[in-house]
Amino acid sequence: MKVFFLFVGKIMVVLLLSAFALDLGYSYVYSKSTTRNKIENILNGEPKEFDVIMLGSSRANNHFVPQLFIEKGLKAYNYGMSGSRLQESALVLQLMLSKKYDIKNIILEVDLNINTEGYSDGTRARFMPYLKSNETVANYYGEIIPEFQSLYYLPFYRYIQYDSQIGFREMVFAAIHKSSASVLNEGFYALQGEGLNMQYDLTKYTPKKNKDYELIKKLCNNNGINLIVVSTPMCEHVKGINYFEAIKNVYPEVHNYENVVTEDKYFSTCGHMNEAGARVFTAKIIEDFFPTKAK
Amino acid sequence: MFFNSLSFAIFLPIVFLFYWFIFAKNKTTQNAVLIVASYYFYSCWDWRFLFLLVFSTLLDYFSAIMMENSTTDKKRKLWLWLTIGINLGFLGVFKYYDFFAQSFADLLQGFGFHTNPVLLKLILPVGISFYTFHGLSYVIDIYYKRITAERNFIDYSLFVSYFPLLVAGPIERATHLLPQVKVKRHFDLEKAKEGVYQIIWGLVKKVVIADSCATYANAVFDHYESMNSLSLALGAVYFAFQIYGDFSGYSDIALGTSKLFGIDLLKNFNYPYFSRDIAEFWRRWHISLSSWFRDYLYIPLGGSQGGMWMKVRNTFIIFLVSGFWHGANWTYIVWGLINAIYFLPLLLQNKNRSNMGEIVMGWDIGSLKTILNILGTFALSTLAWIFFRAKSLTEAIGYLQRMFTDFHFESQYLNNERYNFELLLLVFVFVGVEWFNRSKVEPLSGKASWIKVTLAIMALLALGVYSDYKEFIYFQF
Repeated sequence: MKVFFLFVGKIMVVLLLSAFALDLGYSYVYSKSTTRNKIENILNGEPKEFDVIMLGSSRANNHFVPQLFIEKGLKAYNYGMSGSRLQESALVLQLMLSKKYDIKNIILEVDLNINTEGYSDGTRARFMPYLKSNETVANYYGEIIPEFQSLYYLPFYRYIQYDSQIGFREMVFAAIHKSSASVLNEGFYALQGEGLNMQYDLTKYTPKKNKDYELIKKLCNNNGINLIVVSTPMCEHVKGINYFEAIKNVYPEVHNYENVVTEDKYFSTCGHMNEAGARVFTAKIIEDFFPTKAK
Repeated sequence: MFFNSLSFAIFLPIVFLFYWFIFAKNKTTQNAVLIVASYYFYSCWDWRFLFLLVFSTLLDYFSAIMMENSTTDKKRKLWLWLTIGINLGFLGVFKYYDFFAQSFADLLQGFGFHTNPVLLKLILPVGISFYTFHGLSYVIDIYYKRITAERNFIDYSLFVSYFPLLVAGPIERATHLLPQVKVKRHFDLEKAKEGVYQIIWGLVKKVVIADSCATYANAVFDHYESMNSLSLALGAVYFAFQIYGDFSGYSDIALGTSKLFGIDLLKNFNYPYFSRDIAEFWRRWHISLSSWFRDYLYIPLGGSQGGMWMKVRNTFIIFLVSGFWHGANWTYIVWGLINAIYFLPLLLQNKNRSNMGEIVMGWDIGSLKTILNILGTFALSTLAWIFFRAKSLTEAIGYLQRMFTDFHFESQYLNNERYNFELLLLVFVFVGVEWFNRSKVEPLSGKASWIKVTLAIMALLALGVYSDYKEFIYFQF
């Protein structure tokens, strides 16, 4: 029996050493990668200067066209991320500030993401490789993730927990510096096609006070950044469209741009405009908030 | 409590310590520990169904004794059929009632009569198909006087409820398991080490192979209308490896776990995808069920004694019943039927036992023929799996129709955010490992075992699917 316990003990040691080795290997690869997503681009890249950046979910990512800002002589980048919530947007902003980014304006998409203080598993996963190497990420998640201790201290646990986003496949792509579409086109991801799933029901959503949004406001205020908060368009076939007006009741500073683009031809799906719609919408934003800046 | 869960990783060492250190005095205390552990294990699934397990144990235990005590054949037969009736009655109510009620209503609808069948919509008690068949084999063996009735209730209870095999087999035989639980087990280092190797390899099959394949197979099957021929063919292959990795992985963990307690369970898989014909496939796949149907259905029906017609009839019966055993859906029945049809040419030519020996390979034409036969058998079984995986016959037929008529073979980006071909390398590596270790129970033991164990553990950590957790497929049966 003693020999058997020794045998099992050795397997446990192999397990632990393997987990340590893999953790080190994966973390090293992710610490050198800048081409897979916007988070590693911020963390592993050089600090940048921007006249304007965009934050938010896919409704920011697919709707703001930085190229149109650039054509007006503004340095711009779209940091919107598909699926992300305001919790992740706030952390992205914190990371940029900690890396000494110089940002003059932020356009923040606030609409469907204001109704809960939830988080996006998929986006949270992208921060996980930096949990131990970046103090901002560690401090931020230390306060909000219940299983933070396991993710922080158990070797390789965070890569297991989020294996579909930062597992072996993604690690290999990061190691070979395979570019991801999410960081091309100044962060703008254009949708194609028109008129798919042109129904949306907003009646079950209620805008509420949101601590992550409050944090973004506070960060902007403390760092002298002009924060422009907008709701972005949805198709006309939305049930409960008064949701957007309800946002203004909670946060009057939110500019309601829900209805600046309405025709179905500008929508890929009801909640997401296609590239043509995004260009119309961005042009309107530029016209309203950056009218005087000339090339 | 799944075999690949943290709770099982805590449960197993605790039972191990109790079994070998605190209650190792004699076989009764050892059995008592395993019974308590087994009932706890089962209650973790759903404690409300413990009564079924207890009832099934009591029924078979007392019926066997009554059968043995009966003075006439008529009484023995009465006890046999009473026990079979009650056992299958429970199985029928929980598993098949809704299917029959709905199918009958659909049939009446076909004749223009509209009915609203009363459906029970019961939760299927986990493992019911397994422990019912387990108990049935015991009473049938008693009836045929192959064994004597077990008088020790503790020993018999353990035979029925032993946790490694309780929820998904292997379906044990009294002749194999009971003699082992009737003696005190002494710790056997080599057996325990074999058990650990088998558990690790079972986990690799489940977490690395089956669950990875599942993400691809699900992405293809759930959107088959928009898939091209290549994706559909690959989807079927991925499902073939999913179900193999899932069920044989489960069986490896069950067998390995049992070895830690000094008890050997029946082998359930013997590299079925290296079979040279369908008959061999069925001697290598889910062996404990196939042999159960052979011994308790095929042979009592007359087996191959009554000429070719009898053989064909009995073969179709066991395949159809085997399909239906898996679940109350026409897809399983058709899956059984397809396998019977595959089997038929071999049966008619008396070639169903022509590939009984080991596969020996060399650099000759015979080996090439063997490889082609293996690939052909795999292709046939994979086509049949489409019916097993599909939610309905319409879906299965639509899937096959599209696979053979679309004629587009380019790579396709799937719903799981991966390209259709991406997993092929992992599947090839897995097949290679199995091929070169096909004479062994698992590939980790033997020379350089520590290197192999380390690689297996690294594969588990790095290639395993954890965030998209999937239950063992056979738990639903």
